[in-house]
Amino acid sequence: MIPEIGYFSLVLAMGLSLLLCIFPLWGAYTGNLRLMRTAPSLAVGQCLLVLFSFGVLIYITLTDDFTVAYVAHHSSSTLPWYYKVTSTWGGHEGAILLWLVMQASWTALVAMMSKSLPWVLRARVLGVLGFLGVGFMLYTLWMSSPFERLLPYYPVEGRDLNPLLQDPGMIIHPPLLYMGYVGLSVSFSFAIAALLTGKLDNTWAKWSRPWTMAAWGFLTLGITIGSWWAYAELGWGGWWFWDPVENASLMPWLVATALLHSLAITEKRGLFKSWTVLLAIAAFSLCLLGTFIVRSGIIVSVHAFATDPDRGLFILSFLALVVGGSLALYGLRVSQVYSEGRYKLVSREVGLWVNNIFLVVATLIVLLGTLLPMIHKELGLGSISIGVPFFNQMFAILIVPFAILMGMAPMLRWKQNKLPPLAKKWVGILVATIVITSAWLFSSFDEISTLTYLATALAVWICIATVVDLVEKVSVHPSTAQGLKRLGMSYWAMVLGHVGIAFVIASVTLTSAYSVERSVVMKKGEIATLNDYEYRFEGVNEIRGPNYGGHAGEVTVFKDGEYVTLLHAEKRLYDVGMQFMTEAAIDDGFFRDLYLALGESMGNGAWSLRIYHKPYVRWMWLGGILISLAGFIVLADKRYRRRKQTSVEHA
Amino acid sequence: MNKKFLGLVPLLIFVLLCVFLYQGLFGNPRELQTGRLGQTMPAFELPDLMDEQKRWTDQDLLGEVYLLNVWGTWCPTCIAELGYLTELREQGVRIIGLYYEQAYDPDFGDQFDINYLRTDVQQMLARAGDPYQFNILDLERTLALDLGVSGAPETFLVDKNGKIILHHTGDINPRVWRSKFAPAIQELQP
Repeated sequence: MIPEIGYFSLVLAMGLSLLLCIFPLWGAYTGNLRLMRTAPSLAVGQCLLVLFSFGVLIYITLTDDFTVAYVAHHSSSTLPWYYKVTSTWGGHEGAILLWLVMQASWTALVAMMSKSLPWVLRARVLGVLGFLGVGFMLYTLWMSSPFERLLPYYPVEGRDLNPLLQDPGMIIHPPLLYMGYVGLSVSFSFAIAALLTGKLDNTWAKWSRPWTMAAWGFLTLGITIGSWWAYAELGWGGWWFWDPVENASLMPWLVATALLHSLAITEKRGLFKSWTVLLAIAAFSLCLLGTFIVRSGIIVSVHAFATDPDRGLFILSFLALVVGGSLALYGLRVSQVYSEGRYKLVSREVGLWVNNIFLVVATLIVLLGTLLPMIHKELGLGSISIGVPFFNQMFAILIVPFAILMGMAPMLRWKQNKLPPLAKKWVGILVATIVITSAWLFSSFDEISTLTYLATALAVWICIATVVDLVEKVSVHPSTAQGLKRLGMSYWAMVLGHVGIAFVIASVTLTSAYSVERSVVMKKGEIATLNDYEYRFEGVNEIRGPNYGGHAGEVTVFKDGEYVTLLHAEKRLYDVGMQFMTEAAIDDGFFRDLYLALGESMGNGAWSLRIYHKPYVRWMWLGGILISLAGFIVLADKRYRRRKQTSVEHA
Repeated sequence: MNKKFLGLVPLLIFVLLCVFLYQGLFGNPRELQTGRLGQTMPAFELPDLMDEQKRWTDQDLLGEVYLLNVWGTWCPTCIAELGYLTELREQGVRIIGLYYEQAYDPDFGDQFDINYLRTDVQQMLARAGDPYQFNILDLERTLALDLGVSGAPETFLVDKNGKIILHHTGDINPRVWRSKFAPAIQELQP
């Protein structure tokens, strides 16, 4: 009975989103304020029903109700309770329900926080969000319900959660990623509402910006955690594989990054309006496209998600309707949009414009690399495979001008600049970059390739340029404290975002160039050496977890005879699925990670082990966290808070 | 006029993309992937995984219908299908393994330890089931490239004259077997 209540609650929620889609949009079209006013309560009601439905799924998972197919396939009674909760989004149906939860929550948040918007715009934004809600709910109810029963024959035990997903990283990774994806639907709705209203002034950019920043922050954090999870859990020390599923999350991120910068121009200068709208549509469209790629089985990926052509067809139809509809609307309206305002070649406008070009080109590269093998085949040209080298090479080429620009652009002012003083500054920064990069690399490593040097220099360049700009902007004020206070959250966000990118560039470069690994077979007491570290094998113990057994290898690490750490690497065999999992032991450090994976028993008490030394690898996730912070601190910007106060006065 | 047309460009591109996505959804991507369908097995001479003295050539495989299963111990889906493949072997299906070593990439001059690999394979097969008559080791990936292998697991159905009848990407499970392999094998029976 309880699962049916969950299902029924979703049906009701879909009814409300259908109304949310119709009433406000119709009201906005006819100018009927009473219809428009229904939007917020419908949005909140829908959200409560979806949350209730999700609560039901968690409840039936916690109570091991294996009559429900989803629970039987993705959970088991021996699973610890927190992983039972995780299992509610460990499979396809539950993941889509989680998506709905996010969608409904964002919609309700928009409804509650948009009190100061004109009713026509507010109704349209919520109406569009309601339309998206209808699509996803229809999909869930029709072909992907997590409440389907396995009656009358049901298993007494579940199939357990995929051990790969039994990891803290996996608890938070999907929700964060979905927060990002769905958050971009808010930017999308603002763009569509603005197009419908026909008023593409900078107000909508101002409204859309904090929502976009927040969504982008979540997306960044989601991708970062996903990468960290792959590194910690897959046991072979990698962090990014250019898999179609990973690309599906990178594309919206790249476009959303372009969107943020473009929104800044539109808000501040009223320029690039139609371009910004297009980016907002594109960012969310790529989220939908990603969902299609992941869920349809159209592209072969190492990630084993539920794939099914029927589901694919539904998502494709929805994609065609949403994206096709908005691009048609865009095509009809964009010719009426005029941007006013002049600027010269050396100006912040041009800097941001070039930034947008780079990000869009990068997106197209990922899109082509992901879809080209399929298109190629459909054209009858035979199979091609586009792999990691293609992406690596293209991104290596793109990142050079992009990073140089990232250092220079923040110093540009709106409208125009005189070049000579800027050029002088840049030469100074270049000299500092060369000095610092040389000092850093030559003191840390024996051999340095030109490419490694260049790429590291890019990271250093961004950091120095950012700091120089910061110092200059502060020093024009009489006191440092006053100067710091004046900078504003958007500026701090930029500083964090750019420095974060610098960390990522440095990390990718250095860890790719200087990571070393060694496969060894050791008996108790034997010592292996790798990069000044000595690894003494202390033997293997049997381990027993709640739903797995296995072995744990202990290795003591010394450097120059001094004790560094004790590594504990596990090899687990999960009871239900009889799957093997490697739990790598990682001693993380600011400058290097020591990474150890336990292999097989080779007989006579000897074990195979794989030791990795990974310099600067942690900077990657540190960078990712800094970048996502950039997305979140903008929410604390005074401008947005002040808006809330005025909104109270209006009401 | 000009600007109006420009505004519709994104829509046109998107419509074109949708056409491909739609085709991709129904044109079974997993089957068309090889250009080798209907052709004979490429000529090769490669060592046995367990015994490097023993070498296999395309001629050794003629005379009987067999499955060539591309797999590796690093590949979870391959391990997952070992059990079902073993059942198939017990039913009399001849299965030959083409071992695909991922850790070793000839283009990067990686280090490679054959003894480690053998132990790894033996332990895996002892644990998950051993469907293979024997395993061919294609370290330089020449045969895999000739066959158009893009990953693992992939399975080829080859007739007794060495003609490639089917190329399947992904795991073999009872459903795939019933819908794809069994009918194809039936057709091969005289």
